[in-house]
Amino acid sequence: MKKTIALLLCLVMLVGVLAGCGGSGGGSGSSADKKVLRIGTEADIDNLNLQTQQNAINNVVLKNTHQTLVFFNNGSRGDDVRFDPCLATDWTFEDDTHILMHLRDDVHFNDEAKTPMTAEDVKFTLDMAMDNLVATALAGYVGCEIVDDYTIRIEIETYNNEFVQSLASVPLSIQSKKAYDDGVEDPYYIGTGPYKFDEWVEGEYCRLVKVEDYWGNDLPADDNLAPGASDVIEFRPYIEASSRVIALQTGEIDVCVNPPINELQYLEEDENVTVYEQPGTRLFYFAFNVTKEPWDNQTLRQAVACAIDRDAVLQAAVYGKGTPQTTILNRGLWGFYDDMEGFDYDVDRAKSLMAEAGYPNGGISTTLSYSNGAPYEQIATVIQANLKAIGIDVTLSPMEEATHKSNCVDGGQELFLWRWNEDSKVDFVYRDLFYTGSGSNYHHYSDAHADELIDKVATEKDQDVRLAAAKELQEYLVDACPQVPLYIANLVIAYNKNLQGTYLYGGGNHDWRHAYVAD
Amino acid sequence: MATETKATTKVKSRTLFQETWRRLIKNRGAIVGMVFLILLIAVAVLSPVLFDYETDIIGQNMAEALQPPNAAHWFGTDEYGRDLFARVLYGARYSLIIGVGAVMLGLIVGTILGSAAGFKGGITDSIIMRGIDIFYSIPNIMTAVVIVSLLGTSTVNLMIALAFSCASSFARIVRASVMTIRDQEYVESSYAMGLPTWKIIVKHILPNCLSPIIVQITLLIGTTIISASSLSFLGIGVPAPAPEWGALLSAGRGHIRDASYMCVIPGLAIMFTVLALNLLGDGLRDALDPKLKK
Amino acid sequence: MIKYILKRLVMLIPVILVTSFLIFWAMSLTGGDPALQIAGDKATPEQVEQIREELGLNDPFLVRYAKYMAGMVTGDMGQSYVTKRDVFKTFMERLPNTLMLGGAAVLIAVLVSLPLGIYTAIHQNTWKDTAGMIFALFGTSMPNFWLGLMLIIIFSLTLGWLPSGGKTGFASLILPAVTVGFGLAALITRTTRSSMLDVLRQDYMTTARAKGCSEKRVIYTHGLKNALIPIITAIGLQMSLVITGSVLAETVFSWPGIGRLVYDSISKRDTPMVTGSIILCSVLMCIINLVVDLIYAFFDPRIKAQYSKKG
Repeated sequence: MKKTIALLLCLVMLVGVLAGCGGSGGGSGSSADKKVLRIGTEADIDNLNLQTQQNAINNVVLKNTHQTLVFFNNGSRGDDVRFDPCLATDWTFEDDTHILMHLRDDVHFNDEAKTPMTAEDVKFTLDMAMDNLVATALAGYVGCEIVDDYTIRIEIETYNNEFVQSLASVPLSIQSKKAYDDGVEDPYYIGTGPYKFDEWVEGEYCRLVKVEDYWGNDLPADDNLAPGASDVIEFRPYIEASSRVIALQTGEIDVCVNPPINELQYLEEDENVTVYEQPGTRLFYFAFNVTKEPWDNQTLRQAVACAIDRDAVLQAAVYGKGTPQTTILNRGLWGFYDDMEGFDYDVDRAKSLMAEAGYPNGGISTTLSYSNGAPYEQIATVIQANLKAIGIDVTLSPMEEATHKSNCVDGGQELFLWRWNEDSKVDFVYRDLFYTGSGSNYHHYSDAHADELIDKVATEKDQDVRLAAAKELQEYLVDACPQVPLYIANLVIAYNKNLQGTYLYGGGNHDWRHAYVAD
Repeated sequence: MATETKATTKVKSRTLFQETWRRLIKNRGAIVGMVFLILLIAVAVLSPVLFDYETDIIGQNMAEALQPPNAAHWFGTDEYGRDLFARVLYGARYSLIIGVGAVMLGLIVGTILGSAAGFKGGITDSIIMRGIDIFYSIPNIMTAVVIVSLLGTSTVNLMIALAFSCASSFARIVRASVMTIRDQEYVESSYAMGLPTWKIIVKHILPNCLSPIIVQITLLIGTTIISASSLSFLGIGVPAPAPEWGALLSAGRGHIRDASYMCVIPGLAIMFTVLALNLLGDGLRDALDPKLKK
Repeated sequence: MIKYILKRLVMLIPVILVTSFLIFWAMSLTGGDPALQIAGDKATPEQVEQIREELGLNDPFLVRYAKYMAGMVTGDMGQSYVTKRDVFKTFMERLPNTLMLGGAAVLIAVLVSLPLGIYTAIHQNTWKDTAGMIFALFGTSMPNFWLGLMLIIIFSLTLGWLPSGGKTGFASLILPAVTVGFGLAALITRTTRSSMLDVLRQDYMTTARAKGCSEKRVIYTHGLKNALIPIITAIGLQMSLVITGSVLAETVFSWPGIGRLVYDSISKRDTPMVTGSIILCSVLMCIINLVVDLIYAFFDPRIKAQYSKKG
């Protein structure tokens, strides 16, 4: 017995020693009177070089440190005015292919010399973009002419309704030419935003601090370029969703991005937490590889569309926190039209369409591939049961996302699930998903009429004609049925009830510059 | 001559078997483990009779979704309203088949590699054994991830992926045993008589290392069941809607707060099964240990 | 002795060669094009092709491997495809976290299993023995990530004592360390028990008792000291498992260690990161094994003598 006690004592002592070591090293110290905003993210920040990365999470961080020519607002001012001046004060089309743009003359970079931002930097940034990943966002860009220090003329290949909007994309934030010329280490860290990088420990946290001598310090608080509200913003990855929720409840973080819906009840009960919900923009869809037999049969695809119970899918995937959808365009985008007849859940209609397609008794065996994990797992499970009812035997094939994606690009899949998140440019939906030969056209759908309409929506100047074309295009694509749109997930986010100044986007690209935790 | 040897081995092995059995049943832990495993095998064999796969196992009933354990659903229901009790019992089939299958596959490959290394010696031996060492230093989850992404997700591919890590430990055991007996007279005489190598392996080598192999099999089945569940947990194991235990756990992970039974129960199923295998394995180890013979 | 260490270090070269080849090969066979991962959702096929060209993914496999190894010879382990950061640097940033977790886990395992192993050995064949061993067996019988989840349910959710994930100081280390440590405890307990049983039967133990040493002294000085070698081997073996095998625990607890790094890199098809990390892991394990061997020598003069003879 004595031995046991002795051993226990040793154990306690050792743990104590360890606790001592850890305690002194763990605390980050004297940030007591500083306003710190800690955001629990669902993914690792992996690359902060604006133009060579493409992850939403990186962009959310970079929004605080860098600024774009055009500001894409969150729609709180109405769907028609989504693009505001930012580093550019105004822009006009001189003719179909030339845009004259004036820049703010009071902006400087957050380097030691407070180098002013000029037309040189803008030209440098845009030219550099053409050699980088972000070039897709700038499709059609020909060149940039410096008119004077604060005026530029951008030349584009052909008239495009959405070119200026492209300039609002975070990877196209203006960078310092001088930093690159001087050979500064990691020159992309230098931006004009109200925050600058303090420390990034991969997999642990990324800490931003407020810029003391920010160029826009005198701007009114309601301007989108106004100085930051918190002194420090910290992004911490909590990959495991439940952990993120617990961390919010225990006060380790102030914001929990994407809390799992089935745990919302705990957050709603918690009086220190606010759960916020609004319609989102992320579309989840079920689709066919239309080049694979028998899915090249349009009537058969329509039969499948009628057999899918979208309400059940919505329920299983996100507990109903979303909107079932008929059209292929993300909600909130220009020209969104969801009133076509489409293919509602109707097993009888599905069966008659099956018969019409030449499969009166079903008897089709196929494979549904998707990326493993939620919500695809849940969606697939419901759809598998749905299709069984009309005699289609579905084998589920979950894969790692990388494999699934390659497989879809190569056209190896039969049925598949995928998502599309777009909140600013319609061309990124129509062209990327449905245009012949486009990179994300995993349906391998190719149709001359659809291509023609897509081009029309992109380049037609008469907005009424353009809107009519957009409507026709959506009706056409829904009827052609290369994909069955399932639902648009709501934006759900939970945060400390004292959090003020949030600026949230339905697609998840939130703006944290003006958020802070009130005392 | 040949028949004589056979006869003696037979007599000897029977006594060995009886001896082992006698010692094994004295070990309470091993008995508990064995009884549990026999019951589990019975459940696995009978579950297709007890349940209809289409309706009881994968049939959805959204109206009864996420019910905590109660009189009608002893283990509760999952997010699609499927009875967890039925799914867990049915899942025993998957876990056992994967565990046993992967280990047997590993045993075959390991025996071939081990005896090749042991018999040939020299450069072959070095290459095989260094290869195994290196393979050993690569975490087996990684190997499995790569193999599964190569071959695609399915029960059989999962088995192949897991068999790899089993093969190396069998290869070591077999090689060691080959090394100790390959120079003994009766093996040499078998050679002289023109017996093919595989026959020598089956007749002389395997019986010789039977006890460590049996122990290793029991323990490895347990480890393999755990590895399989880990892979399912990472999303690359047995595809839904099959009720493999790891897949059940993985599904329960999202419900750790609102329906923790979904996570607790399949975990307990895995734990008790592996515990039973470990108890039996330990019992066998003691029973087969020549040092303890008196 | 030094010669022996050098010889062991030279043995690393074939290990590096073979491991890197195998991993590189496997990664090239694995479905999932790295260029597609990097390009993101909205890239055009031309862009994907451009990335492929930049990364040299269009070269034949052997050319790519040769280029990689050429870099390796000059000490350059390449850049991550995804983060564009130096592989060696990234690995070294994560290593302390894994060592911290591994160290704490082994410490917990030792603190539990040494006393338990000795206790069960002393009370061999009694119910205390059985109970102790079953307790230890529980550790190996449950999936490690499941234990992690259960600990989160109990200590974070229900009791609210400890953080559920992330790396935020000492408290956040406890749950992951217990999770990994409990898994290790079983093997160490078992080894301690059988090693102690062996030692307890030795003649010198009887001699020690006959000399009139107290039972405690007999067990702890004479017994434990001699039983330590197999125990250290077991710990050494487990240490290597800890480094590479804690992928799941690191995932469950969002712990920024090597396991998660490697797993994430595999899923992003980041070949240089995966290859580099696994090579560094193998090297690290070889070094740990070497250290374990040296510790034997320290505890056992007979082995020391052997080394000097060899050297």
